[in-house]
Amino acid sequence: MFDAHLNEHQGRLDKLQLVALCGLMLLGGVFVYSATMVSGTAAVAAWYHQSWFRQIIWYVLGAGAATGLCFMDYRTISRWAFVVYWVAILLLIAVLIPGIGTTHGWGARRWIDLAFFQFQPSEFAKLGFILAQAHFLSRPAEELRSPAIFARSLGLMILPFLLIMKEPDLGSALVLLPTGLMMLYVAGTPGRYLVRLASGVGIVGALFLADVLFLPAKWHVLKLEDYQQRRLLVYFDRELPLPAGASKAERERLRKQRFDDSHNVRQALISVGSGGLTGKGWRQGTQNALGYLPRAVAHNDFIFSVIAEEKGFAGSVLVLTLYGTVLFTGIRIAGQARDRLGRLVAVGVVTLLFSHVFINIGMNIRMMPVTGVPLPLLSYGGSSVLGSLIAMGLLQNVYIYRKAY
Amino acid sequence: MRPLSRAVSGPTVKSGGGDDETTRQVERWSSGVLGIFGSIIRAPASWSAAVLRRFRFFPRFPKKAARNRRTPKPSDPVRPSSFQHYIPPFRRVLVMLVFDQLKKNDPQLRAVTLVVLGGLGILLAGLWWVQVVSAREYQESLETQSFRSVRIPAVRGSILDCNHKVLAENRPTYNVSLYLEELRKPFDAAYFRELTRAHADAAKRLAEREHELGRRLNKQERKQFILDTIQKNALRETARSEVASNVIIQISQRLQQPLTLDPTNFERHYQTRLALPYPIIEDLDPTNIARFEEQSTSPLGVDLEVQSSRVYPYQTTAAHLLGSLRRDDSSAYGEEAFFSYRLPDYRGALGIEYGFDRELRGTAGAKSVLVNNVGYRQTETVWSPAEPGHNVVLTIDLRIQQVAENALRNVQGPTTRGAVVVMDVRTGDVLAMASSPTLNPNLFVHPKGVSKEEWQRINELQAEKNRATQENYAPGSIFKTVVGLAALEAGLNPQEIYEVQPNPELPNKGAIFVGRRKIRDTAPPGPYDFRRALMRSSNSYFITNGLRLGPERIIRLGHRFHLGERFGLPLRQETPGAFPKEIGPGWTDGNTANLSIGQDPVLVTPLQVAVLISAIANGGKVLWPRLVDRVESRDPSTDEQPVIFSSGRVHDELGVSQRSLKILQEAMLADTEDPEGTGKHATVPGLRICGKTGTAQIQDERNVKTGQTTWFASFAPYENPRWAVVIMVEDGASGGDTCSPVARPIYTALLERDRPRPAKGETMAKAN
Repeated sequence: MFDAHLNEHQGRLDKLQLVALCGLMLLGGVFVYSATMVSGTAAVAAWYHQSWFRQIIWYVLGAGAATGLCFMDYRTISRWAFVVYWVAILLLIAVLIPGIGTTHGWGARRWIDLAFFQFQPSEFAKLGFILAQAHFLSRPAEELRSPAIFARSLGLMILPFLLIMKEPDLGSALVLLPTGLMMLYVAGTPGRYLVRLASGVGIVGALFLADVLFLPAKWHVLKLEDYQQRRLLVYFDRELPLPAGASKAERERLRKQRFDDSHNVRQALISVGSGGLTGKGWRQGTQNALGYLPRAVAHNDFIFSVIAEEKGFAGSVLVLTLYGTVLFTGIRIAGQARDRLGRLVAVGVVTLLFSHVFINIGMNIRMMPVTGVPLPLLSYGGSSVLGSLIAMGLLQNVYIYRKAY
Repeated sequence: MRPLSRAVSGPTVKSGGGDDETTRQVERWSSGVLGIFGSIIRAPASWSAAVLRRFRFFPRFPKKAARNRRTPKPSDPVRPSSFQHYIPPFRRVLVMLVFDQLKKNDPQLRAVTLVVLGGLGILLAGLWWVQVVSAREYQESLETQSFRSVRIPAVRGSILDCNHKVLAENRPTYNVSLYLEELRKPFDAAYFRELTRAHADAAKRLAEREHELGRRLNKQERKQFILDTIQKNALRETARSEVASNVIIQISQRLQQPLTLDPTNFERHYQTRLALPYPIIEDLDPTNIARFEEQSTSPLGVDLEVQSSRVYPYQTTAAHLLGSLRRDDSSAYGEEAFFSYRLPDYRGALGIEYGFDRELRGTAGAKSVLVNNVGYRQTETVWSPAEPGHNVVLTIDLRIQQVAENALRNVQGPTTRGAVVVMDVRTGDVLAMASSPTLNPNLFVHPKGVSKEEWQRINELQAEKNRATQENYAPGSIFKTVVGLAALEAGLNPQEIYEVQPNPELPNKGAIFVGRRKIRDTAPPGPYDFRRALMRSSNSYFITNGLRLGPERIIRLGHRFHLGERFGLPLRQETPGAFPKEIGPGWTDGNTANLSIGQDPVLVTPLQVAVLISAIANGGKVLWPRLVDRVESRDPSTDEQPVIFSSGRVHDELGVSQRSLKILQEAMLADTEDPEGTGKHATVPGLRICGKTGTAQIQDERNVKTGQTTWFASFAPYENPRWAVVIMVEDGASGGDTCSPVARPIYTALLERDRPRPAKGETMAKAN
C-alpha cells in the first residue's frame, strides 16, 4: 500500500478493491451461515454439506479463476470474446431444451445440471456479452456513428436478452439493458442514438407495464409467466384482475393468493425494517429463524434482508460502502485503462455489478419488483459467485495491464 | 481540484460549517443529485473518508498539479465541471474520494460515477427510511405476526367458613397434553408417506386409464390425476390426525384406559390454537398421574400440563350459598383486553362466587408465545404473572351447616323442598343457610359439564334456587308473632280470655266468620288467652284482635321489620318478599283477617323470618344479616390488612316495650315446652327454646288449595337468646310435625359448638 503511495503506477493490483471484495466475501460467508444454520434439519448435516462451506468453496474457486484470468492480458482474452459470446448463446439455447436445462421445480428453466453443480448459463452470458460488446465497441469512435454498427451492437445485446427472457429470468435479462446502454454511452456512441434507444426502451417498457397492469389477460402482447405478472402487480400494488362474475370463493382465493404473493416482499421489508439502527445481532434475527422470510430464498435472493435484520442500518451502510468501494475503484480502473477496450470492459463490469446491487437491495426494501437477481458475492449460489469473481478478475486484469511498461 | 484534497486534511475540514457562500456557489453539476442525498450521505461518507484517509487507502496526488489550478474569484461565473469553488466538507470528501480519481476530461466516466452514486444514494435513502424512520412500525408488525399473547387466569381465592375450613378452593389438576410443535416432524413425515402413496395411486389410475383407452392422455386429461391443493391439504390433515391418534393410543395403553382422538376437535384446535398444547385427557386422577409418570420417557410431544381448577371439597354443602362458576375467559374490567388466546377461566355466576367475584378472581396474567411462520410454538415468556385472588371468609359454620342440611334432608329425603337459616340473634351473622334440594357446584366446572339427567333433576326440582333467600313464602302463623306484638303494644291484655267458637261442620275445631266468609281454625273451640292462642296458633283469636287493632299498626310494625325489602345480599339470589306499603282503597276486613294470620298480602323469605325472630329475641333490634366476615389475602404472611365487614349492624329498632317482647317470648317458649304446644318436637335437653310453628295455605286464583308452606321459627336459649333457627319446608304435613323436629339436631350442634370454648361464641369474638 505504501508502495502505491510512493509510486502508484507500480501497483500490480487495485488493493483497495481487493480489500472491499474480501470484506464482501467475508460478510457473504458469515451471513449465509446465519441464514442457513437455523432449522434443525440444516444444522445437523455435516459441515461440508453446509451452504456456508459450499459458499466458501465457491469463493476459493472463483478467486482462483479470477487469478488465473489475470495472467493473461485482457486484450488476448478479448480476441476470444466472440467465441465466449457465442458459446454463451449456445448454452442459453441449450438450457431451454428440456432434458438439458432443469427447472428445479421453480417453473423457470434456468439451470444446466452438472451433477455437482447447477450451472446457470445466464450468469456467464452476462460476462460473454460484456466482453463481446466491449470488443465490438472498441473500434474508432467515428465508426460508431454508423447506424449499422449501432444496430449490430444492439443486436449483440438483444440476442441474449431475448434468450434469457425466454427462460424466463426477467431480472437477469433486465440487467443487460443498463450494462449495454452504459457501454454504448461510454464508447462514445452519438447522443441522438442513445436518446432514441433509451426513449424507445422506455416507451416499450411503459406500454408493456400498462399492458400487464391494466389490460385483461387476453390482450397481453407479451406473455409473461403468471408469477411474473403477479409480482409486478404486487409491486405496483394492484389487484389481480377479477374474471367477470367471479364467485365469492374465487374472489377469496384470489385475495389469499395476492396475500401470498406479497408475502416475500412484506416479510423482507419487515426483516429489514425491524433491524432498526443497529440490528438484533448475528444469528439473532427472528424473521429468518422462524421461517417468515422463506427459507428457500433467505440465503440467496434475500440475503440482504438477513444482514439488514441482524446488523441494522449500520450493516446496510457497511454493505453499501463495500459495494461503493468496489464500484468506484472499478470506475477508476476504467479511467486508467490503457485503451478503449479495457475502459469498456471495466465500465461494463461496473454497470453490471451496480445493476445487480441496485435491483437486489431495492427489491429487499420494495423499491424494485421481485426478480431473481442475486446480490453479487453475498447471495448463496455457485454461478453467481463464480460469475461475479470472474468479472472482478477482468477488472483487475484491466488494472494490471493498464500501461505497457 | 487538487488543493481541495489537501484542504481535507487541513483545518478547514474541522471548521466544517461557515458556509455563507455556499448557497450562492453550489456547483451546478452536483446540486441535483448530491443536494438530495447529501444529508443522508454526510455521516457515512465523512466517516469512511476519515478511516480511509487514516490508513491511506487512497494515494495522494502530487501537489504540483495544484499550481496549475486557477484561484477562485467571487466574480467568476459558475461553470459546469469546475471544482474550484468552495464546497462543503462532506462534498469535498466525496469529490476527493470518487471524482478526483478520474481524469479531468472524462465526462463519460463522470456520468457513470454520478449514476452509481445516485443509485447508491437512493438505496441509502430507502434503507434510512425503512430501517431508521419506520423501524418501529416494522418491529410492531414483526411482533404481531410472530407473537401470540395468552391470558393466564389467576388462581381463584378460596371461600372459607368462620373457622377457616375450606368450602371452595383451587387445586392443581393435571392434564395430559399434546405439544404440537414437537410433532411437526412426524406430521411432515406422515404427510410425505401419504403423499407418496397418493402419487403412486394416481399414477396407477393414470396407467389404467391409458391402458383402457389404448393411448397416452394429453396434458388436459392428465390434470385430473394431479393432486391439487385441496387434496394435499386433506392429506396433511389425515397425516396429522394419524400421528396424533398414534400418540394417543400409546397414552391409552399406559394409562390402561381407552382413549380416542376426536379428529374434528383436533383439527379445530390445530387451526385455531396451534400455539397452545392440545389436551388429551383433562383432570387426571392420582392413580393415572402415577401411571403416567412412572415410565420415564413420554411419547413424543406428550406431557403433563398443570392447570388450576375450582374444587368444592364438601360437594353439595352450602352449594347455594357458595354459588357456582360459569366458563368465561374474557378480560375483566381494567385488564389487558387483547389476547390471541385465553386459557380457560371461570367467573362467578351465583352466590358468593358471584358476589365476591372481583375479590376472588384476582388479576389475570399474560404470557407471549413466539411462533414461527406456520404458527408452531417456539418459546414462551411470561410478561405479567397472574395475581391470585383473595380469600373470602364466611360467617357460616361448616359443622352447623352440615347438621342443618342433614336435618333438612331427613324430612323427605333428597327431594325435600325447604330451607334452614341459623342466625346469631345478637350479631345477625348467618351460621348456616341450607336449601334443599341441593346440587353439586363441582359439576359446573367439571370438564365434562353437567349431565343431561342432572340438568333434568335440577330443572324439575328447581334445585338451583336458594330457597332461603330466593323464594317468596306465605309466613302463615309465624306472622302471628308480629300481629301479637302489635296488639300487645296497642294495649291488649294478654290475660284476657277470648272464646273460640266451634266450626259448625267440624265441632271439635274452631272457626271465625269475617263478614260472610268462614275462616277455619286448627285450634279447638274454648277459652284462649294470649299465651294459649299463640301456642295453639288460634286463627280466631288473632283475627279478632287484628280486626280490633286495625291493619295500620300491624303494617307499621311490619315496616319496622323491613318486610318486603331486600337485604342486598351479595348473592344474586334474593327476592324481597311482599308486604303492603299502606292501606290502599278497597281494603276490607277480609284483608285484615288474612294479614292477621300471615296469609295473602304477606310473603317472606326464611332469611327475613330469621331476622324477624332475631329482633324478637334480642330485644327489638332488627339487624342486617351478615354472610361474609372478611376478605383476606391468600398469603398468611402478608402485611395486607383484611377487609372486615362489621357485624351486629342495626337496620332498625322495633320501638316496642320489653314487656311486650317478654310476653311474646314466654308465649313462644310455651309453644315448645307446654304439652299442648305445636312445637314440642323441637325440645333439646338443657336448652329452653322459644318457637312458633306455621302452616300457610297456598291457593290458586280460584281459592283451591294447591299446597302449603310449613314453618318453624325459633330462638334459644330463652334466658339469654343467642341463636335463631328458622326452618321452612314446602308441602310439609304441618309446622309442628314436619319442621320443629329439624330444629333439634341443629340446637344440639349449636350447644356442642360452644362446649369446648368459653361462653362467648366464635362470632362474637370476631365481631370485636
